[in-house]
Amino acid sequence: MEQKNERTVDPQVEFLVDRIKNGDREAFMKLVAAYQQKVFILAYSMVRDREDALDLVQEVFLRLYEKIQSYRAGESFQAWLMQIARNLSIDFLRRRKTRKNDSLDGLDLDRADLATECEDPGRFQTGELIHRAVLALPEKQRLVFILHHFDELKYEEIADRLGIALGTVKSLHFKAVQNLRKTLAPSLGGVR
Amino acid sequence: MKVCRKYKKEWPAFIGGQLPNGRTEEMAAHLKICAACRAELEETRKLISLATGFKEELEEVMATVDWESLPGKITDRVWKREERKAPAFAPSGWRSWKWQPVVAGLFLGLLLGGALTFLVLRPQKPGTLVARQEAGLSLPADLVERVDLALARRETIDYLERSQYLLLDLLQNGQPGESGLVRRDRIQQLLTEKKYLNNQLDDWRLMKARAICDQIELLFLELSQLSPELTAQELEKVREMVEEKQLLLKINLVKKELQQGEV
Repeated sequence: MEQKNERTVDPQVEFLVDRIKNGDREAFMKLVAAYQQKVFILAYSMVRDREDALDLVQEVFLRLYEKIQSYRAGESFQAWLMQIARNLSIDFLRRRKTRKNDSLDGLDLDRADLATECEDPGRFQTGELIHRAVLALPEKQRLVFILHHFDELKYEEIADRLGIALGTVKSLHFKAVQNLRKTLAPSLGGVR
Repeated sequence: MKVCRKYKKEWPAFIGGQLPNGRTEEMAAHLKICAACRAELEETRKLISLATGFKEELEEVMATVDWESLPGKITDRVWKREERKAPAFAPSGWRSWKWQPVVAGLFLGLLLGGALTFLVLRPQKPGTLVARQEAGLSLPADLVERVDLALARRETIDYLERSQYLLLDLLQNGQPGESGLVRRDRIQQLLTEKKYLNNQLDDWRLMKARAICDQIELLFLELSQLSPELTAQELEKVREMVEEKQLLLKINLVKKELQQGEV
């Protein structure tokens, strides 16, 4: 039977958070150093632009500092941080879509459109292809796929980071793979 | 091709090495006998290889970021923003938060006091509301002004009539040595009354009345300097003055004008 994953609480992180709540600059810098790459991976996977992803990393930690007083000890810090990163990335994509009126953005990307465009293999680089297909996934599937394949986290670690059950992570990953296979069927050479 | 659902949901975990001990070997053995699962696994592997391609791109990009200096930059930015939000120094003394209600109360009191003082002491202009505290009413300034003017006219007419009677008594019926004390009292009374009337006669619409009242006042002042019992010579001199200045005629004219102006 699947049990809800026990969220691990890193005492060092809790200690840093306590110090940040009291305005400790050094503690904040250590926390940024510990989590900046994790946030970057998520941001880059969403926006696929180095500068935009770096801006998002800064925004995430700015937001984190603003909200740090509302963080309660015992909660999964990573899950909380990832929630902030995910929300800001989605906001960014919405703004970019509005600004550029760019139909390429994948939040509401139509799978059929993508499949048609993928019939010309030279049109997209591999990275572009998978990026757009991943963005077209439902939010939770997208996040699990990104963390598993781009951040190389194990299922247990994803469950911990997102604060969800291990079985849910497995299920979401399977669904993500199935959806991606359907979306990328022309490139993969099979039909689902 | 026939679809095998036995391990369908577990192939992604199989590729990622996420299965528990024993399960991987079990599925590997199944692959040897199941063509459908081999095809399934192959397609999943292709997909994962695409993801690996993106992962490589991600690693290349990450290699270009200066992770050493980024925490410092972010921290600087956060602290600068916080400094902009917060006041430059903590308030102390009367500016500390616990004194702020008192300071605010005092300020409000001063403001209200100033406003009330201004309302009470400011010069009244036509068309504005004025407080008639005696009556406890607020009336339009125009109405108040009209009432004041009407009262001034009445009092001026009264003053002129009494002055006229006094002069007539003096000039027509006056006998030297008769009623001197009574006359002097009447003169003093009219002189006093004129002092109070002066304020009301300041209105530009009563300028003509003011002029004749001033002449009467001047005459009464001279009379008040004389002894109560006028000599025939003094009486003649007064009569000449009244006639010369046509005081009685002017009094009649002004009275008429004032009465006509009174609505």
